[in-house]
Amino acid sequence: MRPYSTGRKPWRSEPFQEETDDLQAARGKLFYFGLLVFFVFAVLTLQLARMQLVNGEAYRLRAENNRLRQVPVVPPRGLIYDRNGVPLVENRASFAAAVVAADVPEERQTDIAVALQEVTGVPAGEIEDTIEARRKSNDPFTPAVIKENLNEEVAFRLREKLADLPGARVVVEPRREYTQGSLMAHVLGFVGAIDQEEYDRLAASGYRLDDRIGKAGVELSYESLLRGAPGIREVETDASGREIRVLGEKAAKSGSSVVLSIDLDLQRKVEEYLRAAMGRSRNAASIVIDVRTGEVLAMVTLPTYDNNLFTGDVDEAALEKLLTDPAKPLLNHAIAEMYPPGSTFKQITGLAALQEGVANAGTQITSLGYLDVENEYAPGKFDRFRDWSALGTLDFYRGVAMSSDVYFYYLAGGYVRGGKQVFQGLGADRLAGWAKRFGLGERTGIDLPGESEGLAPDPAWKERTIGEPWLLGDTYNYGIGQGYVAATPLQMVLVTAAIANGGNVLTPHVVKELRDVEGQAVSIARQYVRRNLGVDARNLAVLREGMRQAVADGTARTGAAKDVAVAGKTGTAEFGERRPNGTYLEHGWFTGYAPFSNPEIAVVVFLEQGNGAANAAPVAAKIFDYYFGRRNLAGGAR
Amino acid sequence: MISWRERRPFDFILLVAALALCCYGLILIYSGSLASAGGKVDVLSGPIGRQAAFALVGLGLCLAFSRMDYRFLAQGSSGMYVGLILALLFVLILGTQGTFGSRRWIDIAGTHVQPSEIGKLVVILVLAKYLSDNQENIKDLRVFLSSLLIAAAPALLVFAEPDLGSASIFLLVWLGMTIMAGCDVRHVIGSLGMLLALSPFALLVLVTDYQRERVSTFLDPARDALGSGFNTLQAEIGVGSGGWFGKGLTEGTQTQLDYLRTQTTDYVFSVLGEELGFIGAMILFALFIILLMRGLRAASISQDVFGQLVAVGVVIFILFQAFINIGVNIRLFPVTGIPLPFISQGGSSLITVFIAIGLLESVIMRHKQVSL
Repeated sequence: MRPYSTGRKPWRSEPFQEETDDLQAARGKLFYFGLLVFFVFAVLTLQLARMQLVNGEAYRLRAENNRLRQVPVVPPRGLIYDRNGVPLVENRASFAAAVVAADVPEERQTDIAVALQEVTGVPAGEIEDTIEARRKSNDPFTPAVIKENLNEEVAFRLREKLADLPGARVVVEPRREYTQGSLMAHVLGFVGAIDQEEYDRLAASGYRLDDRIGKAGVELSYESLLRGAPGIREVETDASGREIRVLGEKAAKSGSSVVLSIDLDLQRKVEEYLRAAMGRSRNAASIVIDVRTGEVLAMVTLPTYDNNLFTGDVDEAALEKLLTDPAKPLLNHAIAEMYPPGSTFKQITGLAALQEGVANAGTQITSLGYLDVENEYAPGKFDRFRDWSALGTLDFYRGVAMSSDVYFYYLAGGYVRGGKQVFQGLGADRLAGWAKRFGLGERTGIDLPGESEGLAPDPAWKERTIGEPWLLGDTYNYGIGQGYVAATPLQMVLVTAAIANGGNVLTPHVVKELRDVEGQAVSIARQYVRRNLGVDARNLAVLREGMRQAVADGTARTGAAKDVAVAGKTGTAEFGERRPNGTYLEHGWFTGYAPFSNPEIAVVVFLEQGNGAANAAPVAAKIFDYYFGRRNLAGGAR
Repeated sequence: MISWRERRPFDFILLVAALALCCYGLILIYSGSLASAGGKVDVLSGPIGRQAAFALVGLGLCLAFSRMDYRFLAQGSSGMYVGLILALLFVLILGTQGTFGSRRWIDIAGTHVQPSEIGKLVVILVLAKYLSDNQENIKDLRVFLSSLLIAAAPALLVFAEPDLGSASIFLLVWLGMTIMAGCDVRHVIGSLGMLLALSPFALLVLVTDYQRERVSTFLDPARDALGSGFNTLQAEIGVGSGGWFGKGLTEGTQTQLDYLRTQTTDYVFSVLGEELGFIGAMILFALFIILLMRGLRAASISQDVFGQLVAVGVVIFILFQAFINIGVNIRLFPVTGIPLPFISQGGSSLITVFIAIGLLESVIMRHKQVSL
């Protein structure tokens, strides 16, 4: 080893020793280092060519997908008005705090959650759970709401902090506010956050996880029209999801507005009258319908609920109370529950008997207060079918007016005395056929969800369902609306409407027309008449006269209105188990129309646990009084 | 001043290649820092100004080192080595915490200084000195193992930072230099075999969770596309989407919309790949090849073993820094924090490679002197 540091400037120049052989030999290796250099860059070039030149197109697409996001533009939901233009719902802007999981950097997630907790008060752990769940979902780009209904001050404070909180958003959500609350809850329904099942079903039609959707009532049945068509805004976003610029926009199409056929003032009165008459009734329902068009003017079911409860953060306690209430306030009893129609069914039995030639206006039958019928399987043994009173000898008009059960036992099942057919009745199959023709056992097709079909049984049905043969007694019960037959209040008001309008069984509807954004009416193709009964006007006139007498001086006298002639029929239907004292619980019904000579509206009043004449008919009387009284005040020019 | 005789052998091609790479880097740093600077970069005060200042310092040091007889450095090499070990220990104990808890820097006057960068040159010098001093018994196992020890000590210290990339650079430099110095090929192969045999054990015991995470992310970045796999995936997309000619400088969507992170340092090549495309990368590769071949030329004309080994060490160092850095960008390697020489933003790295060029020039400028 030889020291280098000799001389004055050792770092400047220093003579080398003779070149060694080793040095020469080592130079040969440099060739391989040169090869190594080229080899390394060849490897890099190959991989680069594979990525950029071979797969470049695929990567370009991914880069585009990265930066381009399609943001849905949700149009304002259509509004809903009553038939006179009174707004029933408003869209209020409401602020919500949300996170876009894809934009939250994982390493900063906890900081961001804590910062959001400070502003919104939602626990940070909960926020992190939301972010993680969304990150794993198939839609991490949709904002997940962590707190709804922020007040403006909180929303403002959060907005100021957004720059430091990638992924956090303040979203403006239109919030549905129902001006009438419980009064219109069952007709309007409500809008709520889309649930998983709905999302799975509707994702293909453009719904997203943060969408709101009609859940009940008109909000549900007219969802697609009220919602409109969301537009799409194509935006360029940076890595933290901030929109840099808008590249294109497909405009959203606003939802149509809906004008209901409901008359809000009438609706309010009907509810008021019905509520006052409820007494010990658990439920009550009433419908007012235009017999010419099938427009529903009022539809009330009690008890009801405030649909504003569902629009924002759902109050779980209040919801639980609604769900466990035995009176089922969330159910629209006017259309969704079926009850034995009782004597209101005699409209069907009566018209069927007239049209089938079983009876005519002059057919006389005597009621001793009961009818003893020899048992089909045990001759000599008699079953007794009761009338509500010994009404004596009645023609058809009085049979209807006095609502004689014996009269209608004859019409339905005929009468055999001493082995001799003294009166030929309709029989179960013909009666069932007429019940179905009147629309029992089928949905009316009203534009509201959740309708019940009711039940129009026949002997085959009983064999099939209960496994027992149809008895003559079943036919008798059928004739007076007892036994297996069951109908919704809506179905029964349509029976009356068909009698009033000359035989047209209507398809009822609560929406009168649709309006586009400019307020122009949009026509809806709709069939108002489901079918025509095909009955002679003469026979209709006979039944109507019977119903007029029922109100004028028969069992439905309490249904009479002051200024207008009403035709109607009460019903007091037994239901449930026979009680120890030999009686049954009863439902009270009234169904009728007015004016008698030129029918306009039909009304049904139903009181679960009530009496037809004592409880239901007076409500109808008040409704007729109000409806026609108001019109007279307005000068009769409506 | 430098006389004509002295200047003639000065390798201008080498220096121009280095300066060209450095300018290329400045352009890429400019484009890469646009996004975080909100679309407007002040050329003088921003990252460009800092990097240019470092380049000037580097150039000055490069010229200074080229004027200095490289053999002079051999004398001080053991002292520098002790200093390096101390600095690396200091980093490990008191260094500035970086991402994922790694410690790689010391703060001096508000600047992050990364001793492992200049340390690579120190190790080159020390190894060159040791191997050239022991030319007579270069085939001895003892010499071979001692040289391994020289490289392994700083390698283990940076590995503990943890900086697997720099540690592997130390070992690659050692490997290249021992081969060049004429160590017994069986020893070299044997040590490589041992390393391979130990690697499963090392993976289990020595490698931290953070490194394991990086490796599993490398194998399948989509596993956590929005988390730890984000950088890998976005860099890949960026480079791949560049195509033949790129999207144009400052036009890369991945770069400008912030999808690339650390896009002026570890992922600066992605900016190039996306905005300047395959052609841009080929220009970069050509500059590197020119520079490295001039480095090998320095080794071949060196008049002594020490100079030859220094030149080879520098070539290996720059070659593998570039290879690993670019390889990470194009998914050949898992993420490591190796800067791209001359290109990546960062003073320690830039000054180090300029000094390395100065050493090469010093070797080149003295090859004629034997004939004086």
